[in-house]
Amino acid sequence: MQILKVENLSKSFAGSGEVVVDVSFEINEGEVIAVIGPSGSGKSTLLRCLTLLEKIDYGTIKVAGETMVETTPEGRVVYAPEDRLRKIRLRLGMVFQNFNLFPHFSVLRNITEAPIHVRGLSPAAAREEAEKLLAKIGLADKADAYPYQLSGGQSQRVAIARALAMKPDILFFDEPTSALDPELTGEVLKVIRRLAAERMTMLVVTHEMGFAREVADRVIFMDKGQIVEEGPAERIFGDPENERTKNFLKNFNSNYGTV
Amino acid sequence: MSVFQVPTDALRLLTLLLNGVMTSLQIFFLTLLFALPLGLLTALGRMSSHKWISLPLRLYILIMRGTPLLLQLIFIYFAPFYMLPPGLKFSLHRFTAAIIAFSLNYAAYFAEIYRGGIESIPAGQYEAAAVLGFTRSQTFFKIILPQVVKRILPPISNEVITLVKDTALVQILGISELFRIAKNESSRIFSTTPLFVAGMFYLFLNWIVTKIFEQAEKKLSYYR
Repeated sequence: MQILKVENLSKSFAGSGEVVVDVSFEINEGEVIAVIGPSGSGKSTLLRCLTLLEKIDYGTIKVAGETMVETTPEGRVVYAPEDRLRKIRLRLGMVFQNFNLFPHFSVLRNITEAPIHVRGLSPAAAREEAEKLLAKIGLADKADAYPYQLSGGQSQRVAIARALAMKPDILFFDEPTSALDPELTGEVLKVIRRLAAERMTMLVVTHEMGFAREVADRVIFMDKGQIVEEGPAERIFGDPENERTKNFLKNFNSNYGTV
Repeated sequence: MSVFQVPTDALRLLTLLLNGVMTSLQIFFLTLLFALPLGLLTALGRMSSHKWISLPLRLYILIMRGTPLLLQLIFIYFAPFYMLPPGLKFSLHRFTAAIIAFSLNYAAYFAEIYRGGIESIPAGQYEAAAVLGFTRSQTFFKIILPQVVKRILPPISNEVITLVKDTALVQILGISELFRIAKNESSRIFSTTPLFVAGMFYLFLNWIVTKIFEQAEKKLSYYR
């Protein structure tokens, strides 16, 4: 089943011009997509458009067949009505680079607050689900801790659990390990790897090339707002066709070692 | 030599001043009751992207913070009578006028403190809440406001301490609060003792205010 379909998506910001240019792709259920590319290539902006954090300037986004936003033949961008948008939004989960945990809530409450007040779960049921998720990410003993007491890696794992508690159809990751000390990235990648093994549909913007190659079914390479090349991870990393992809991976390998 | 005869005179003075304290406290609590929520509404309106909401509120804040509270007290007390056209004229009760002036004035200061607090919350908090599906009001009341309260406690405590002392200003409208009573008593018995005792009362009240805010800060120190 198709979870996400993006057609001709464009987004520009005053002052920085077009940041995302005519991007089209789709994601099927159970797929893991890695989006790679140089800084400023529009990867994060693309993610923010898909999660309704930015309004698009042109294009169509469909989530599980439902139109989230479309552009009329006259070029007018039309979003679904607010109530439908709210429902669509619940299908999308997001993990931020800087975690964005709620500092005034305990770890447990960070995870249960939205299920209780948005999904309408009973506090007991939400707690039970949260405890299962905490066990899964290896932080069962941190339920009563506050975010300031966690390491970056632990914070990001909690943020993943918080997103999963809403039972999204697709989970977006915006450079989930970029704010972490190198020795802490492993524990976060391990959790994402485990989700991939469970066939969770995911789109991961990342600079971790080794991880992208290992976990992603498909890789999208973006540069200057455009999708330059897209294909199976093995092919993109093993035998890239486009010059820009080749250069990016070559520079990357010479800077960080071969992936 | 002794103008001051213990214990009858002391008792009389204390009773007098305590009556004044009660009036001052009424003004104090009523002002907080009205100004704290009014300040929040003002802050939200001041941050509105609609110019016809934010501009008048900026003007309101400018006037309230830019002119003496003493003048505002006099203005609000006399304006309904002297500035309204015949037929619409009315006179405010002096106590009512004092509460209106104080509430309007303090709401303006509180509004800027709230605004500073709200704007200091990182955008990521709103974004995380939005992606989790919280409505705008859920986001504000569950996620943003609790964090704002923690951040604005120190500047709010400043204002509250000032408010305790500012209650003395209502004597300009002839209201017998602590300071006016102390001053009159000082003239009557030709001694600074009543004023000194009044000072002790203000100090004591603000000691309590300080303690309350210390407790509140301690209570919210469970997170950073």
